[in-house]
Amino acid sequence: MSSSPALRMEGVRKTYQVADEEIVALDRADLVVGGDEIVALIGPSGSGKTTLCSIAGGLLTASQGTVVVGGNDISDYTSRQLTDFRRTSVGFVFQSVNLVPFLTARENLLVVSELVGRGGRRRRKDAVARTAELLDELGLADRADNLPAQLSGGQRQRVAIGRALMNGPDLVLFDEPTSALDSQLGDQVVKLIRDEMKDRGTAAIIVTHDDRITHYADRTVRIEDGRISA
Amino acid sequence: MFLALREMRRAVVRFGLLVAAIGLLVFLILFQQALQDGLLTSFVGAIRNQSAPVLVYSVDAQRTLQGSTIPPELERQVRGAEGVGRSARLNQSTFTIRIGEEGDSDAAIIGTDDQELVRPTTLTAGRRPEREGEAVGSDGDFRLGARVAVVGSPGVRPAEVTVVGLAEDLQLSVTPTLFTDLDTFRAASMAVNPGATAMLPNAIAVAPADGASAERVAASINSVAPDADALTRGDAADNSPGVAQVRQSFQVIFLLYGLVVPLLTGLFFLIITLQKAGSLTLLRAIGARASVLAGSLLLQVGIVMGLGLAVGVGLFYPLSRTGVGGLSLRFDATAVLAWSALLLGLGLLSALASLRRVLRIDPIEATSGPGVR
Ligand SMILES: Nc1ncnc2c1ncn2[C@@H]1O[C@H](COP(=O)(O)OP(=O)(O)O)[C@@H](O)[C@H]1O
Ligand SMILES: [Mg+2]
Repeated sequence: MSSSPALRMEGVRKTYQVADEEIVALDRADLVVGGDEIVALIGPSGSGKTTLCSIAGGLLTASQGTVVVGGNDISDYTSRQLTDFRRTSVGFVFQSVNLVPFLTARENLLVVSELVGRGGRRRRKDAVARTAELLDELGLADRADNLPAQLSGGQRQRVAIGRALMNGPDLVLFDEPTSALDSQLGDQVVKLIRDEMKDRGTAAIIVTHDDRITHYADRTVRIEDGRISA
Repeated sequence: MFLALREMRRAVVRFGLLVAAIGLLVFLILFQQALQDGLLTSFVGAIRNQSAPVLVYSVDAQRTLQGSTIPPELERQVRGAEGVGRSARLNQSTFTIRIGEEGDSDAAIIGTDDQELVRPTTLTAGRRPEREGEAVGSDGDFRLGARVAVVGSPGVRPAEVTVVGLAEDLQLSVTPTLFTDLDTFRAASMAVNPGATAMLPNAIAVAPADGASAERVAASINSVAPDADALTRGDAADNSPGVAQVRQSFQVIFLLYGLVVPLLTGLFFLIITLQKAGSLTLLRAIGARASVLAGSLLLQVGIVMGLGLAVGVGLFYPLSRTGVGGLSLRFDATAVLAWSALLLGLGLLSALASLRRVLRIDPIEATSGPGVR
C-alpha cells in the first residue's frame, strides 16, 4: 500500500559465540522488501533464514548493521521496545508452536489485542469484529470455537496466519509455513497467504526450501551460509 | 485477565481440585484455630473473664487456684505492697453437685469476699448474686434459676446454690463453674468436710491503686513477698498448667499448614508454568510484555487463593454455629481475616519460582520449537 519499503536491512551481521568458535549466521545482509511486496526466502537448512526473519521481526538484535521496519529504525531498540514493536508492527508465523493450546481459534486471534494488559472497551470491540472477519476470510468461521487440538494441520496454519494479521502489521514473517503440510495443502496455504497479503497490501517474507512455492512470490531471494544473493 | 481467566475456564477440573484442596486446608486451619481457642477458654475462661486485674498465688502453687494457699503473714505482705488498691480473698475447689433429679457431676466453685472485685466480666443472662446461696454460672452448663445441690459427706445436709446469672466462657479446667460469695463457698466446703476449722484463702485478688498498672503492682508484690506469685489476669491465664502445651501443639500444626498450603500452590503453578512454557514463549514472541504474563500468573494465584479461602470459610462458618461435642467453636472474624491475609501472602510468595520462570523466558525460543534447528 505504502510506497516506502516495509523492510530495509543494510549490512546486517549476526554471529553466535559457541564455545571458542564464532558462528556467522548472517553476514553483510542487505535486503529491501517493498511496502506490499511478497518475498520468498530460499536457502538450505542452516543458511540463516530464521535468523534473518528473527532480526527483521525484532526477536533478535543484529550484531552489526541497520534494520528499518515500516519506517522505524529498530537497530538500537531496547528489549522492551522490541517487545512493543513485535506486538504492534509485525506478524509472525513460526515454524513450530503457533497457537496457544488452551485458547480456541477465535481466542488465539483475540489474544493479540489483549497482550497490552488492559484495554478499552472500544478496542476490544474492534478486535472482536476483526477476528470474525479474519476467521471468515480464512474459511474458519465454523471452527472459531474449536481448540487447536480439534483442528487439522492446515486449519491450524490458517489460524496462525489470522493471528499474524490481527495487529495490522507492516510486515509478516512466515518461517517455513508449509513444512508440516503435504505438498497439496502447502500449496493451498501459500496461495492463501498470497491472497491475504495482496488484499491488504501487506509485505511478507515467506521462508521455504521448496522451490515450487516461489511462483506465488513477487521475488525470490536466495541465502546461503548467511549470505544473500538476489 | 483474558489469558488467566480463559486458561482457568479451559482447565476447570484442574483448578477446581486445587481450590478444593486449599479450601479444605483453610477449613482445617480455621477449625483448629477455633478448637485451640475453645480448649484454652474451657481451661482458663474463669480466670480470663473475671474482673480482678491481678491474682496472687502462693509460690509453690504452680499457678493453680486449688494448689495455692495464702497464710495470714503472706496475705498481710500482699495487702501492704505498694500500688495495691482493693484486694479480696479467693477460694476455689471442685465439688460434686446434683441438679434436680439428674445424676452427680463435678463443678468448680469460686468464692470471694468481694464480689465487686472478683466477678464474671459480662453476664449473658440474669443478674449478679445479691445474697448468700446465689451464683453466676458458666452458660452451657447451667440454666438460669437452677438449684444446685453440693453433695456433702454421708449424713451431712447438702449445701444449696441457686444460679441467678449466666456468663459466657466461664469454665475452669473444662469444668462447669460457679462464682459465689465466700460464705456460700464455705457452706459448700462444710458440707463436704464438716470438721474443717479455719479456711485459708487460695489466692488474693488485687486491683491496682489509682495510677498503678497491673504489671507494676504484680512486680511490687513479688518483690516484697518472696512467697507470693503475683500475676496479671492475662499472665495468670496464659501460665495456667497445660495452656502453654496446648498452644505449642497447635503451633506445630499451624506451622505444618503454613508449609503445606504454599507448597501445594507453589508446585501446582510451577508445574502448569512448565507445561505451558511453549505458549508463554509464543506470547512473548508476539509481543506480550513479561510483566503482562507475570500479572496473569499472579492473578490466577490470587483467584485460586481467594476461592480456596471462600470455600474454607464457607465450610467453617456453619460448623462454628453449631460447635462440636461440648466445645463451642467461635467464628472469630479477626482470626479468619488474619489467616486469609497470611495464606494469600504465602500463596503469592509460593508463586515466586513460577514467576522467575515466566520472567526468564526468551522469546527467540519461539523460532526454534521442538524439531526445529
Ligand atoms: N542460538 C544459536 N546459537 C548458536 N548458533 C546458532 C543459534 N541460532 C542459529 N545458529 C546457527 O546459525 C546458523 C543459521 O541458523 P538459522 O537461521 O536457524 O538457519 P535456517 O533457518 O536457515 O535453517 C546455523 O548454522 C545455526 O546453527
Ligand atoms: Mg529455520
